[in-house]
Parts: sequence; structure tokens; C-alpha cells
Amino acid sequence: MARPAIMRQMPQIAHVDVNCFYASAERAFDPSLEGRPLVVLSNNDGCAVTRSPEAKALGIATGEPWFKLAPRAKEWGLVARSSNYELYGDISARVMELLGRYSAWLEVYSIDEAFLGVKGEPDQLLALGHRMKDAVRRSVGVPVCVGIAPTKTLAKLCNKWAKNNAAFGGVCLWDCVPPEARDGLMARLPVAEIWGIAGRLSNRLNGIGIFTVLDLVRADPVAIRDKFSVVLMRTVLELRGTACIPMEEERIGRDQLIFSRSFATPVTTAAGLREVLSIYGQQASARLSKHGLQAKVLTAYAATSPFRNHEQAYPSVCVSLPMPTADPLLLTKAAHALLPSIRDGLKYAKAGLMLTDLRPTGNQPPLEPFENPHEERRIGPLLEDVSRRFGRGSIGLGHAGIRCGLDWTMKRDMCSPRYTTRWDELPLVKAA
Amino acid sequence: MGVIIGPRVIDAGASLFSVLISPVAVAAGFPSPAQDYFDGRIDLNAHLIKDITSTYVVRVTGSSMEGAGISDGDELIVNRALEPKDGSVVVAVLDGELTVKRLRITPTGVILQAENPKYPDIRVAALSELTIWGVATRCLHHV
Repeated sequence: MARPAIMRQMPQIAHVDVNCFYASAERAFDPSLEGRPLVVLSNNDGCAVTRSPEAKALGIATGEPWFKLAPRAKEWGLVARSSNYELYGDISARVMELLGRYSAWLEVYSIDEAFLGVKGEPDQLLALGHRMKDAVRRSVGVPVCVGIAPTKTLAKLCNKWAKNNAAFGGVCLWDCVPPEARDGLMARLPVAEIWGIAGRLSNRLNGIGIFTVLDLVRADPVAIRDKFSVVLMRTVLELRGTACIPMEEERIGRDQLIFSRSFATPVTTAAGLREVLSIYGQQASARLSKHGLQAKVLTAYAATSPFRNHEQAYPSVCVSLPMPTADPLLLTKAAHALLPSIRDGLKYAKAGLMLTDLRPTGNQPPLEPFENPHEERRIGPLLEDVSRRFGRGSIGLGHAGIRCGLDWTMKRDMCSPRYTTRWDELPLVKAA
Repeated sequence: MGVIIGPRVIDAGASLFSVLISPVAVAAGFPSPAQDYFDGRIDLNAHLIKDITSTYVVRVTGSSMEGAGISDGDELIVNRALEPKDGSVVVAVLDGELTVKRLRITPTGVILQAENPKYPDIRVAALSELTIWGVATRCLHHV
């Protein structure tokens, strides 16, 4: 009888994901959008990247171009918003910091989702899931769902169930779903809905008779490895409850680049973290360049070690860059905005950068006078020296002086105010 | 539970610039004589904001809260995580708009009160019928 008790002590993984993140962030400050179909558009107001449930109900697909939707918007009561990355970056930083209070092990997986290591009896875990969900909704103002399971893949699956089945009340714990119900749910879910299985792979799986998640669970992991890859075998094992997907440290998605690392030895000073962030800034810049991208918003964060019995902290900061850039110097300096929140003496075990509001490099006119990175390295200290001696604003990078005028290339006609990052764009409350 | 710092949102261009030139960030070279002052300055965030994850700043339009010392154009610091109580100044959602009122919880019902006789009160049967967006903790009144 000892075994079930030990099983219950096994660490579990909670996956927390903001529902329709961009749309929810817009609604948090504009309650008139509540209950109305809402789409958030990609850069240049191109196509719908986020749809509220009401917009989904109208049959609007992800990626549908706005010019096709616009003529019917009035008839539908459909509202569109341009992507407001400054707002989303700040809301994301708040959500992640808040979640950090519930677990010492937090992996920021994307702008709107995180994995957390959690432990406890099923009823405690369920209660924890509800506490996190309620706290994010109430404190930050956006709705989340929570999936809790022994593996990341199952936690993601549970989160999907929590989102799609009102009966779960927003929190789905794998251990609390009866095995027959799990099989039923998995048999109804196409295999493409599983984390890490993209379109082409799902077509190949369909080709060998694997159509649903349940089909994949029942497939032979070794045969899957031989026919496909070790990565897909891991997915099968994860679906069977064996955790084998490690913490991800680097990731480039449709609209964000995440770069984070855990340190072998904890960093305990702001000076040490300054060096770390400098290296990350340069490496993130290299990744952006490699993909031909520039970023406009940067989030930097750090976390104390989860495995030590000491004070915990999860500082994070969202910085709006003066212009879209992949410049290592600018990214590094922006990342250093985290430093005032770093307390000497705490043991930091991890730090990361998240770059959002990505756009192709081609969008920007060639205005950068310092294109050679070697030159930049000498320019940096020189700038600091001159600024220190002659005062703030006496000198800056050639392109840093151009605060606006670059964004005109980017169409954002339907952008909401940057409610939380600009003093002159604060939310208005009526006293009437 | 440890101490939580940030997220602090840094204002765009200007603050990137301040990051660029802040004496604190200068590692090499001769130490700035101003450096000591930077550590000692009053940090309004630290004094006015209890929980940075749940606190927002909003701007008031209109004069219905004059009696509470809240004027047109003033900024309010609003904590979403606080429990609204009888007497709290709250930001409530009314007809899809954020509205600031004094909350009164009485045995006979809940009232959203204006602090200006020219504006009527709004009565509801129970608190659950209202969407309270947050509780104001400070008013940044322009004097």
C-alpha cells in the first residue's frame, strides 16, 4: 500500500496559459469589449492572430486577413485591435511574477504560458490550481486555465481540456480525471492537437493509422522512434505519464523569441547578473539576426534557485525599445533595466530574455550608422563616458535619437493606448 | 514567501536612455560622485505600491468625486487585489466603462456613491451584482 502514497508525492507539472491572451489583455482595460467578438491583428494590421471566443463562434479563423473581415465587421459587431506589444509584455511580466509566488520552479514558456513544478495530494493540487487561476484573474485582470499532470505534454493536454470543457471550471488535474474519461477525451482529440505535433507530422501519422491522441498513446514507442524520431517517442512516453521533456532554454515562436539559461553556480550579485544579461543580449541579438528579425519589446527576468531553502525572488521588467532592433548593444542595455531589481545576496539560478513584437529586418530603413559590431563595442563605453561627463542626453547612439518616425512603416491604426507603460496613455476612469 | 521585486515597466525611449547612462550601470572608469545619491533617493514605487503585479495607475475624468478630494485629471493608484469594503473608493465597471465611486455596503443594499451632490447614487441589491475592477489606495491630486 506504500506505492500509491509514493506516487502521489511525485512532483507534478502545472501548465498555466492565459485564455486568448492578446484579446484578454485588451479587455482588461476596456470592459466595453467584454462579450463582443474581438480580433487582435498581426503587425501591419494584416490578419487576425488572436480571436475572442465570440469571434471564433462567428467562424473567423486564425490568420484570416483583416481586409476580408472588415466589410462585415459592422454587421457582426466585430471589433479589431492592432497588436499592442507594450501592453502585452507588461501584462505577461505581471502574470509570470505572480505565478512565481506559487512555485519555486517556474519556466516561462511563452508570452502567455508557463510551466510550474508543483507537489501535493490531488485535492491540494486542485486547490492550488484554482488559487493561481483566481489570483491572476483578480490581480492582473486576465483569465487563465490550469492543467496539472505528471508530464509537460499531459499538463498541456489537461489545460486544453480545462479550456474546452466548462465542467472543469478552468482547472484540470490529470489524476482526478477517471481513466475511462481520459480515454474518451483523447479519442475525440485529433493527434495534431498535441504539443509538438505540427501539420506535416500529423499527416504522416494519419498515414499509418494514427488519427487521435488515443491512437498515439497506444502506439509502440520504439516503433515510433524508428519510423519518426526520438522526439516523437518522447511525446508518446510523456502521454503515458513518463516525464522526459526537459526545461527548454531557447525557443523562437511566431511572435516571440525566448532565451533563458539556468546557471551551474548561482549568481549572487547585480554585477554578476549584469555580465550574464550582457551575454544574453548579444546571443539573443545573434538569434534575431539569424532569423532576419528585429524586436521592439524586451522582457528581462531572473529567478532564484528553487532547490535551496532561502528567500525567493522573481524580478521581471518589460522595456519598450526606442525602435525595432537586433542591435546587441541596445538589447543588452535594455536587459540591464532588470538590474535595479536585483538584490545582492540572493542566489539567482536563472535569467532570461523574451523578445516580442518581432518583425522582419527588411521593414527598417538602413539608418544604422554603426553596423559593425566590433565598432559598437568601442562605441558603448565612449557613450557612457561622454554621458557621464556632460550629462544625460548629451550623446546617444545615432539611431537611438530617432524615437519616432520609424514606426510609420508599421500600420497600427487600431491600437489601444499603452495603458500600463505610458504616463500619457493611462486608462481613463469616469467620475460622472 | 520571499520578497518580490518588479515587474517595473520602463518608459520607452527616455528610460532606455537612462539605462544607457545611469551611473549605477557604469562598471569601469572613475566612480561617479553622484552615485551615492541614487541609492538614497525616495522611491515612490516602494512607498505607494504594495503589490506591483496587481497595481495600475488610472486617470480620472469628471468631477463627481470632488468631495473625496479626487478631481478631474488626477491619477489614482488602484490595487486590483484588495477586497472592496464599505467606504472604499472603487473603480467599478458600469455600462462597459470604468467608473470611480465610493462603495457603501449597508444592510439594505449596496450603493455606489458620488462625492458630489450633483451626481446621483447607484443602488444594487448585492455586491455580486457589481463588477469591481479595483480599489483605489491613493489619489495623486494636482494642487
